[in-house]
Amino acid sequence: MHNHLIEFKNVSKTFDTTEALSNINLYVDENEFLTLLGPSGCGKSTLLRLIAGFESPTDGQLLFEGQDLSSIPPHKRKVNTVFQKYALFPHLNVYDNIAFGMKIQKKSKKEIEYEVGRVLELVNLKGFDRRSVDSLSGGQQQRIAIARAIVNKPHVLLLDEPLAALDLKLRKDMQIELKNMQKELGVTFIYVTHDQEEALSMSDTIVVLNEGKIQQIGAPCDIYNEPRNAFVADFIGESNIIDGVMLENYKASFSGHTFQCLDKGFAEGEPVDVVVRPEDVDIVPEGEGMLCGNVTQVTFMGVHNEIIVDIGGFKWMIQTTDSVNVGERIGISLDPDAIHIMKKSEYSGMFGDYSSYSNELDELSDPGRDE
Amino acid sequence: MNKIEPRSGKGRTNLSLMPYSFWSLIFVVVPLVFVAYYAFTDDNFRFTTENITRFFTATSALKEDDGTLREVHTYLVIFMRSLKLAAISTVICLLMGYPLAYIIARAKARTQKMLVTLIMIPMWMNFLIRTYAWMTILQDTGILNSMLSVVGLGPVRIIGTEAAVVIGMVYDYFPYMVLPIYSIMAKMDMKLFEAARDLGCNGFGVLKRVIFPLSLPGVLSGINMVLIPSVSTFYISQKLGNGKFFLIGDAIEGQYIANNLHFAAAIAFILMVILLVCMGLLKYLAAKFVYGGE
Repeated sequence: MHNHLIEFKNVSKTFDTTEALSNINLYVDENEFLTLLGPSGCGKSTLLRLIAGFESPTDGQLLFEGQDLSSIPPHKRKVNTVFQKYALFPHLNVYDNIAFGMKIQKKSKKEIEYEVGRVLELVNLKGFDRRSVDSLSGGQQQRIAIARAIVNKPHVLLLDEPLAALDLKLRKDMQIELKNMQKELGVTFIYVTHDQEEALSMSDTIVVLNEGKIQQIGAPCDIYNEPRNAFVADFIGESNIIDGVMLENYKASFSGHTFQCLDKGFAEGEPVDVVVRPEDVDIVPEGEGMLCGNVTQVTFMGVHNEIIVDIGGFKWMIQTTDSVNVGERIGISLDPDAIHIMKKSEYSGMFGDYSSYSNELDELSDPGRDE
Repeated sequence: MNKIEPRSGKGRTNLSLMPYSFWSLIFVVVPLVFVAYYAFTDDNFRFTTENITRFFTATSALKEDDGTLREVHTYLVIFMRSLKLAAISTVICLLMGYPLAYIIARAKARTQKMLVTLIMIPMWMNFLIRTYAWMTILQDTGILNSMLSVVGLGPVRIIGTEAAVVIGMVYDYFPYMVLPIYSIMAKMDMKLFEAARDLGCNGFGVLKRVIFPLSLPGVLSGINMVLIPSVSTFYISQKLGNGKFFLIGDAIEGQYIANNLHFAAAIAFILMVILLVCMGLLKYLAAKFVYGGE
């Protein structure tokens, strides 16, 4: 049997009466960049804390390199954590912060000096040894936190929303740096975030969580192109999610029109959720469209316009480089590969209509909330 | 003690601070100036260092246990005795107060409030009443000895011993040790403990490498607030030590009552200087060995 680095077997975690994680089955492989993605309170941080050892599962088994982790305290695990707000020791300078773990392991002074120098170079902060951590900017503190963790050569590096406190520009730079660092070090990264863009751009594998349950596991492009339910479709990227009926293989009907699609394996007449990504919609003159509607809102986004179109009472979001005006009546056309069919789930009907567009944005872009 | 950073720029006077500056001037600076003035003048208010030298040179006969008399430097002996009892009390307060402060700081919010109140309640009672209470507890026929007799361990002579004085000091000044340490511990970021464990610390390692160094400012102000009043106390030694352990506070009081204001001021002045030097040294050493010289 192939051995995974970390394996969750039917793991559940309950705090008092609330279930934070329920029946998690998940494995993490060597050298993988795995992201736990979900909204606040979905259980992603709890999952990370289970691996670090700050929490223990209420139920199920957690294996690390084939060994049960339950009896191993945090300080004996071969994992290190980069904390959300860095948790650097304020009474120690940069050097002593990074050397903290090695000093406990009683490494020689010479080795500690060499290793600290090496990781400082790796995080581009050479010469910062004697600085106090308070004198560093957020981005620099972030790098020290990473250096402090990786200097111990962990088998797995756990990162708990490490970029959430940084501003957008710095966040983008750090994303690229982290990804490069992961390749360079050859260490498994388990990364927690609520930022779907971050997850898509960095990960090998994304685990989408909501309400303590795994919604979908897959590569970024699979998660984006083939979301399994309305929650995933909505949480990752923008989606129009429409009620539809599967007529037969490769043929679906929604919004009063029958479309060719690439999906099969549904029962004839089965109600389904249809996902159409805003960038996959073609705008055509009114008469030539498969569907027609009135433009109710146009927002200039730089690269494209984001428009909201009312089609038979359902508000679609469309991203287009064409220019249209509010009040204009347009037609839309969908290619078969623009249409993705999902089975009905508990999340059906909860997402994907853009009548309440702005509220949703607020919720997703709120980095300040802790779990 | 925490350093308070000035909020406004240099050279700018903050009007709202005026009443407090005025207050400190009248009630702190002026009295201190008077103490120094009295310490260095004689009865006719002429400059003299005689009071100061008297503290270091005055001698008297001390009766040893075997009955022989020994010539000693009166005030130096008294001072060392005060310092010894105060230091013992401070160490006991620290050893008991530190774990207690930690336990309170880790308790649930409601429990914390309750425990802090419990520690503060004795402070609401008058200092004299508390000391009298200990007299009745520690007396040869007091509550403690009655209980010890019942279990067959007593009676033990406690009142009038150094132990009784130390018990009194510890009881009176204990809250001043617990509260500053607690207030600093309650503010500590729990994530730092997790970070330490994550980096390989066991429970003791977290205490040694993170909790203790971070709590040091609280420990220092606790030591300040227990050591200084203990060194200069006079009432406790009179009541619980049966007046047998003449402390530096008793000496000051005695000289004051005998109307030797100038010598009383000199003793107070010397005590203050020595304590300031001690506290400065303690702070320096703590910074050097715990914070790596910063």
